[in-house]
Amino acid sequence: MPSLEHVTIGSTARVADVAGCDSTSLRLLEMGLTPGVNVRVVGTAPLGGPLELELRGYRLSIRRHEASRVAVAK
Amino acid sequence: MTLKPDGPAQPDGPLRRALVVALLGNPNTGKSTLFTALAGIPTRVGNYPGVTVEEKIGRFTHRGRVIDLIDLPGTYSLVPKSPDEQVAVDVLRGQLSGVPAPDCVVVVVDATNLERNCYLATQALALGLPTVIALTLSDVADQKGISIDAAELGRRLSCPVVRVAAPAREGISQLGDQILAVACSAPKLPTGFDTHLAAADTRHAPAARDAIARYAWIEELLAGIVRRQPPAHRSLAERIDQVLTHRLWGTLVFAATMLAMFSSIFWLAAPLMDLISAGVDAVGAGLKQLLPPGAIRSLVVDGVLAGVGGVVVFVPQIAMLFLFVAVLEGCGYLSRAAYLMDRLLCGVGLGGKSFIPLLSSFACAIPGIMAARTIENPRDRLLTILVAPLMSCSARLPVYLLLCGGFVPNIAVGFPWLRLPALVLAGMYAVGVATAALVALLLSRTLFRGPPQPFVMELPGWRWPRWPVVLERVREAVWSFLQNAGTLIVAMSIVIWALASYPRDDAAITAEVAASRTTIAARLESLPEADPDHAELSDQLAALDTDAGLDAARRGAAQRQSALGMMGRLIEPLVRPLGWDWRLGCAAVASFPAREVVLGTLGVIYNLGEIDPGDAEGGTALVRRLRAATWDGTNRKVFTLPVALSIMVFFALCAQCASTLVVIGRETNSWIWPVVTFTYMTVLAWLAAFATYQIGSLLLGVQ
Repeated sequence: MPSLEHVTIGSTARVADVAGCDSTSLRLLEMGLTPGVNVRVVGTAPLGGPLELELRGYRLSIRRHEASRVAVAK
Repeated sequence: MTLKPDGPAQPDGPLRRALVVALLGNPNTGKSTLFTALAGIPTRVGNYPGVTVEEKIGRFTHRGRVIDLIDLPGTYSLVPKSPDEQVAVDVLRGQLSGVPAPDCVVVVVDATNLERNCYLATQALALGLPTVIALTLSDVADQKGISIDAAELGRRLSCPVVRVAAPAREGISQLGDQILAVACSAPKLPTGFDTHLAAADTRHAPAARDAIARYAWIEELLAGIVRRQPPAHRSLAERIDQVLTHRLWGTLVFAATMLAMFSSIFWLAAPLMDLISAGVDAVGAGLKQLLPPGAIRSLVVDGVLAGVGGVVVFVPQIAMLFLFVAVLEGCGYLSRAAYLMDRLLCGVGLGGKSFIPLLSSFACAIPGIMAARTIENPRDRLLTILVAPLMSCSARLPVYLLLCGGFVPNIAVGFPWLRLPALVLAGMYAVGVATAALVALLLSRTLFRGPPQPFVMELPGWRWPRWPVVLERVREAVWSFLQNAGTLIVAMSIVIWALASYPRDDAAITAEVAASRTTIAARLESLPEADPDHAELSDQLAALDTDAGLDAARRGAAQRQSALGMMGRLIEPLVRPLGWDWRLGCAAVASFPAREVVLGTLGVIYNLGEIDPGDAEGGTALVRRLRAATWDGTNRKVFTLPVALSIMVFFALCAQCASTLVVIGRETNSWIWPVVTFTYMTVLAWLAAFATYQIGSLLLGVQ
C-alpha cells in the first residue's frame, strides 16, 4: 500500500492505516490522521523537508519519516 | 510558586473561597488572548514544582466572585506525551501538589478548526468536571464563512458553549456567567462514544482505538452543525497564504523576515543600548562628583552601577526579539519558519523551532536562549540552549575586528577583492556554527539519546496578531529577565569588582611602576633607532612622566596585583601552550564575567588607562601597544599571527559571559546546565586555541 510520503503534491488521498503503536503513531491519530479521512498534500519544505497537509479543515506538517508510516488508498 | 486555597473550607466553603478555573486548549487557539481578556496581567508566573513548565495564574472578579484562572500549557490530547501535557493532565485531576484541584474547566475550542479541537474537548468532558466550552476566534470564523450552531453543539455535548471574540470582548461576560453557573451544578456527560469504541477495529492498541473512535464520534456530533459558505472573493488570508507557501516567494519572504528580525536586534537595538550606556556613564560621573574618592565610591560606581548597567543594557535586545517572536507567533508565521528550516536543523539533531533562537544568538545569546521558550519539545529546547552561546554574538565582534585588523596581514586571497582579514573574520563565525553543529550532533546521539521525537506540528492559519498578547509577551520576557537574572548578575558584578580591586598595596604598585620604567628604558637602549618599536617605547617612557600616563600605569599595576591579576599569573602554565603570556592570561580571566570588557581590560593591563578600544584612536593605540609587547625579559614578540588566531578562536568558543550562564540557569530551572555549558565550552575553547596556535606556528614557522 502506498504511503502519504509518495502522494503527489496537490493531490488528495484517503488514509488507510497508521503503522506502529508508539507515541508517534498515537499523535498522528490524535491530530486527525485516522483511517478514512481525506488528506491533501499541500506542499513540501525545501531540501526534502517536512510535508504540509490539509485535513479536517486545518493545516498540519509532518516529517517524511512520519509520513511514511501513514498508508493511503488513492 | 504554588497556589494555596484560602484556608479551610467553611460550611458554605465553595462560595467563600476563590473559584479555581483551569483554562485548557490546543496550542494556537487564542487561549492567551482569552486569558488576557478574562484575567488581564497574570498575578503569578513561575514554574510548576520540579519541571520547567510555566505556571501562569490570573485572579479576577466576576459578579462579586473571586476566580483564579490557571492557564494550562497548550495541549492536543489528555494522553500526555510531553512534560507540558503531563502537567495539564495532573492539574485537571488535582494530582499536582501545591495546585488546588480545579472547580471547573474552560475548554478553548478554535471555531475555525472545530473538528480537531473537539478531540481535546471531548476528552476533557470525560473527566467529569463542570465544563464550559469557549468558542474562540469566532470573528475569524465569520470572515471565513464558517458558521457554527453553538446552541445545538452545546446540547449535543451536554455543556454550555459560549461564542467568544476576544478583541471586541464579545462573549467574555457571558463566559464568566457560565463559569459561575456550571461550577455549582453536577456535570452531565455526552453520550454516544461507547458505541463508536465498540465498533472500532480491535487490531489497534487501546489508545489508538480510542483516538479512531473519538474522531468517528466527533464527525457524528458535528454533522449539520457547521456550515461553510466560501466567501464570494478570495480572502486576504488565503491570498497571503498562497504567497507564503509558494516555493520561491515563500522562501524569499522567509529570508527577508529573518533578515529584518536579525538586523533589528543587531542594529536597531544598538542606539538604545548606547543610550543606556551613556546614561549609566552620566550617573557614574555624577556619583563620582558626589562621593569622596575611595573604596565606597569605587564599589558604588564600578561595582553596583556597572552591574545594574550591565543588566539593563540587555533589555532593548530582549524586548526587540520578543516583539518579533510574539508578532510572528501571533500571526502564525513562527510555525511556518520552523517548517521551512526543519530539514536543515534536523540533520544535527535539532528541530525547526531551534532556528530563531539560534539566529538571534548571533546578536546576543541571552534573548536567543529566552526565545527557546517557543520550543515545546523539552529535549530540543535544552539542546538549543546549550549550543546557542557558541554563536558568535555581537560582543565578540570588536575582538575579532581589532585582532583581524591589527595582526592578520592584509593580503588578497585568490581574488583582489577577497582580503585575508575578512576571510579570517568570516572564519570565526564559521568556527562557532560548525562547533555548535558538532556539539548538537554529539549530544543528541549520546546524552540526549532517546525515543525519536515526532515532528507533528500544526500550521495555524494566517491572522493578525493581537496587540495585548504581543505586548504582554514582551513585558513578561523583560520582567522575568530583570527580576530573575538581573539580581544575580548585579551580585556577580560586585564580586568581580572586589576581585579586580583587592588586595591593593600602594607601595607594591609604586615599586612595579618603577620596575616597568627600568624595563622599558633598558629595551629602548638595546634597540636601534630604526626599529619600528623604538618610537612606541620612547612614547611609553615619556608617558610615564605625565600625570595621566602615571595614573594609567598605576591602574595597570593595581589590576595586575589584584586577586584577578594573581589568577592570571597563576594560570600562566595553562595559557602558555596557547602562545599567551601572563598578561593575556589576566585579560582572559578578567573577561570571563563578560567578554565585552576584554579590550578595555587589555588597555588597563598594558598601562593605557581608560581607553575606548571601539573608537579609531583607542583601537590604534591598543594595537600599537600590543604590537610592541614582548615576553618578559626578552625581545620576543607576544602578538604574532598564530597568537592572534588562538585568541580569536578562544573567544569564539569560550563561555565568557556570566549573564548567559545565569539565564541558562533560570531558563532550565537548574544549576547543572550552566555548569555543563561553562565546562564544555571552556574545555573546547582551550583545545581549539591550542590546536590553532600549535598548527599555526608549525605552518608559519613562527616561534
